Amino acid sequence: MRAPVKAPIGTVTDMRVVGPITQTDIVRFAGAGGDFNPLHHDPEFVATSGFPGVIAMGQMQAGILAGWLSDTFGVEHVRSFGVRFVAPVFLGDTLTVGGTITAITEIDGEARAELDLVVSGAKGPVVTGSATVVVAEV
Amino acid sequence: MTEPLHSGEVDRAEYDVERGKIREFARATFTTDPVHTDRNAAQAAGFTEVPATLTHTVVAGHQREQRKFVEMLGLALERVVVGSVKWTYLRPLSAGDHVVGTRRIVDDVQREGKRGGSMRVVTLETEYVDADGDPVVRLEEVLIERGEQR
Repeated sequence: MRAPVKAPIGTVTDMRVVGPITQTDIVRFAGAGGDFNPLHHDPEFVATSGFPGVIAMGQMQAGILAGWLSDTFGVEHVRSFGVRFVAPVFLGDTLTVGGTITAITEIDGEARAELDLVVSGAKGPVVTGSATVVVAEV
Repeated sequence: MTEPLHSGEVDRAEYDVERGKIREFARATFTTDPVHTDRNAAQAAGFTEVPATLTHTVVAGHQREQRKFVEMLGLALERVVVGSVKWTYLRPLSAGDHVVGTRRIVDDVQREGKRGGSMRVVTLETEYVDADGDPVVRLEEVLIERGEQR
């Protein structure tokens, strides 16, 4: 197992920017995950739905956030990861992914950091989340 | 398949965690840690096999029929949104794992919406167990059905 990373309380300096989101990105995620709801790829169907355009599946943004989290802290150090879906993501949106460590607590001999997470588009948050990860002892 | 569904259980997903699918999912989520795509990198990092990305259980979508499942819960598909999802990890899910995840209802309540009208909030929990029957990852999903427009 890799050593947990050193991470102080506060905003995680290493952020990630993904996008602009394309139809290809959405189709690739559909193929990986198996969500073939036409809202995510069929403009004619979308026109009947009330949405102004094709939207990404929430699980795509959740997966992008999870990817940033595990790339930053190591997948083996993540104890929990949760997301709340706040707003839809449309084609052309650019997403900013990051988080803030709000507390570090010693549990079962390891230092566990609590994080608030957020994925934002141009108009504000699209997914918010939280996670518990193991970090290096302070 | 294993045993039939019990009362309160809504569906079951069973699959092999495959290296190729882990790679596809890592790419589709812009995940860059090479442990997910390179067996040597995974072993150098102390894994015996390539670990899956954190939300890999989403691949159960390939086995599920969302429409049928929503109908079974008595929900109106056009008014249902997924409010939140939380994963709790007991160990990293890895290539070569064979997992079975049984989804069950743990809560089903009516709540008053902020803008008037009631909504139904259904909480589902899925525990994925490995070939030895040991839990690997738990998943909690909260579905929200908005009230009908009057």
